[in-house]
Amino acid sequence: MQRLIALLLFAATASFAQDVMPPDFKPDPATLKKLPEGVLIVKGAEASASDAKTPLPEGGRIADGTYGNDYFGLSFKLPGQLREVFKGPPPSDSGVYVLTELVPPERSQGGDRATIFVTAQDQFFALTPQRSAAEAIKLKTETLPEYYKAERPPYEMKLAGRAFARLDYTAPVAGIHWIVLATEIRCHNVEFVLTGRDPKVLDALVASLGAMKVGGSAPACVADYADANTLYRKDPEFAEHKFNPIPVRIVIDTKGRVKHVHVISAFPEQARRITDALFEWRFKPYVVNGEPAEVETGLMFGAPPRTRATKVAKASD
Amino acid sequence: MSRRFVPIAVMALCLAVPLFAQTDPGVRGGGAAAGAALSSVVANNPATILNFFNDGKARFQEIDSVSGTVAGENGVGLGPRYNSRGCALCHAQPAVGGSSPFTNPQVADATADGARNAVQSFITQSGPVREVRFPFFFDQFGNPDTSRPNGGVEDLYVIVGRVDAGTCTSLTLPSFSQAQATGNIIFRIPTPTFGSGLIENIDDATLLANQSAQSSNSFGIAGAFNHNGNDGTISRFGWKAQNKSLTIFAGEAYNVEQGVSNELFPQERPLPGEDMTTGLPSSCRINATPEDHTNFNTTATGTLGDSAAFAMFMRLLAPPTPNATTPGGSTSINNGRNLFNAIGCNVCHTVSLTTSRSSITPSLGSATATLYSDLEVHHMGSLADNVSQGGAGGDQFRTAPLWGLGQRIFFLHDGRTSNLITAINAHNSNGSEANGPSYNFFVNLTVSQQQDVLNFLRSL
Repeated sequence: MQRLIALLLFAATASFAQDVMPPDFKPDPATLKKLPEGVLIVKGAEASASDAKTPLPEGGRIADGTYGNDYFGLSFKLPGQLREVFKGPPPSDSGVYVLTELVPPERSQGGDRATIFVTAQDQFFALTPQRSAAEAIKLKTETLPEYYKAERPPYEMKLAGRAFARLDYTAPVAGIHWIVLATEIRCHNVEFVLTGRDPKVLDALVASLGAMKVGGSAPACVADYADANTLYRKDPEFAEHKFNPIPVRIVIDTKGRVKHVHVISAFPEQARRITDALFEWRFKPYVVNGEPAEVETGLMFGAPPRTRATKVAKASD
Repeated sequence: MSRRFVPIAVMALCLAVPLFAQTDPGVRGGGAAAGAALSSVVANNPATILNFFNDGKARFQEIDSVSGTVAGENGVGLGPRYNSRGCALCHAQPAVGGSSPFTNPQVADATADGARNAVQSFITQSGPVREVRFPFFFDQFGNPDTSRPNGGVEDLYVIVGRVDAGTCTSLTLPSFSQAQATGNIIFRIPTPTFGSGLIENIDDATLLANQSAQSSNSFGIAGAFNHNGNDGTISRFGWKAQNKSLTIFAGEAYNVEQGVSNELFPQERPLPGEDMTTGLPSSCRINATPEDHTNFNTTATGTLGDSAAFAMFMRLLAPPTPNATTPGGSTSINNGRNLFNAIGCNVCHTVSLTTSRSSITPSLGSATATLYSDLEVHHMGSLADNVSQGGAGGDQFRTAPLWGLGQRIFFLHDGRTSNLITAINAHNSNGSEANGPSYNFFVNLTVSQQQDVLNFLRSL
């Protein structure tokens, strides 16, 4: 009985834990625990997935001097002295990813300094229509602010046997040059953005990227597949409406069931409810050459999509 | 020369030769370039609006006491806990409505009128005004419990000991030393309020259009908006853009920073979590609530409660006036402006946005607000404070408007630095959306160009 009373008292104390520490509280140094420095614990909307095995766009890693991203089937050796000193931000609620930021290890100035930022824009959730890499480059060219100057019209080039849309521009006032190389992978516009003061250094970096590998198998990606092909839909029920856009990518199997859910940006409770609901959805199977095939598509919850991605179905790369 | 003196001689020579590097010109002098009313308000358009500005400003400058019975302290409702005793004590630099002044009023606030508060080590005479938050509640061992986020303001002082504290003779404060020992403490400094009426009158559609226009940037920057939980529209005031309107901003601050209950926040405020345990003691609930409210026996400006008057004052404040020549000269400043854009700072620090039509006064209507902010929240890496507000997570902050930066003393949300270069450097870290532009600043600009950017920023 005494133990039970002690247990109940402890439970009561713990549940009304020390929300207000009195100023004369004397902690026991033996049990003092400091918060880890530089660790983000309280996150806002963040990315999550229904399983830990399926590759994700934000899952790229650098190992042994090589950047690898299984989702995009992309790998390339880090050119020259460039290193990833800092990681970029998490995925945005408009489907923007910073895959890697490569910079010289020493942050000093010099003509041979250059950086490469690799980004990806999910075509399904772009704030402005970007249904292809070429369209993204065209948009970038047409909306270049007046303090930038295109060094030549955008053009297509081959790199590693793959088509890239390329835009070269400069900021004359700063003496800085950019080369943007955009290619489409799994309905994402993946951009290599090279920045530096010496165009020759940038051209050399472009050449070194020619050894990159892009390949691997992936489901076909189809924008707005759910619009005309949903057989059963269960809407997620949110306890609280937070008004944030929640972009989601799903992979649908050959039987029309959801196989994988990638919530790109959501609060944990939202992600949980959306994921649980989506696994109950049913679709018409995607058919290629008369055979059912897996398909990847996008859905927006929480807010209407800002643009419609609509595009023709593509075979996997 | 002996061996012993050679190193000293070399060292002396190095110290005598100045390092050739960019420098922050420092707080721009020459009188306050802010603090006046909007031009149409100065012109008293519509009629009597200038009275509202002046009345609001006067109340903004009022010092609060508990019951309004202390000479020279006519404001009512201070405490029982507070951070400072008047809006204009903290929002003071370079003029009333601004940000943290050179001399921190919180040192004097601790013992004003007989109060017996200790001044915490993080509050110093020449440091920034600070409000304190604990990111997490504590467990029974006094350690931060990361499963229980807190993030609410923990007031520094109590009214106990004041000549007007009445029955409030005992009231706890949190253990700031425990919070410091466990790393469970963050700070916020006052945001300047100049031009905030223009910010308030920017339509959501304008903000969304700007977000779309910036989305094709080559820096991987993609911000989000914080939303008001009631109607889902975009909120825009505060370090995390958590407040929808100036009235909410004023009412909340009045209650949280000075302890004055008002029509927007009608109850006396306990410390975060205190209501779950002992609650605010009745001996310290001295006044009827709300302590600030509409005045029914007066007319015109006197009718407004303080919160509404504060909001109207801030709403009618003109934005700061940039200086075309100081520091560094007009050529440097203009060059710096162009470089600021070229390296991508303006993707987040959007140069200007246009307001909607205004029903209040012409200067607020269809006006160009050159605020240098997109009003979005962005991931800022190691600047994270582990406090979530609305839709903004622990690493997300509203792009701080840069207008008036030239005469600000302290930078970043916690006032950790007075050096602009350090502030820019803090944009560069793991998980930050600002890595591209900040890297451009430090690596791809020459020293001379960097100085131009600094001069431009200090001209704002």
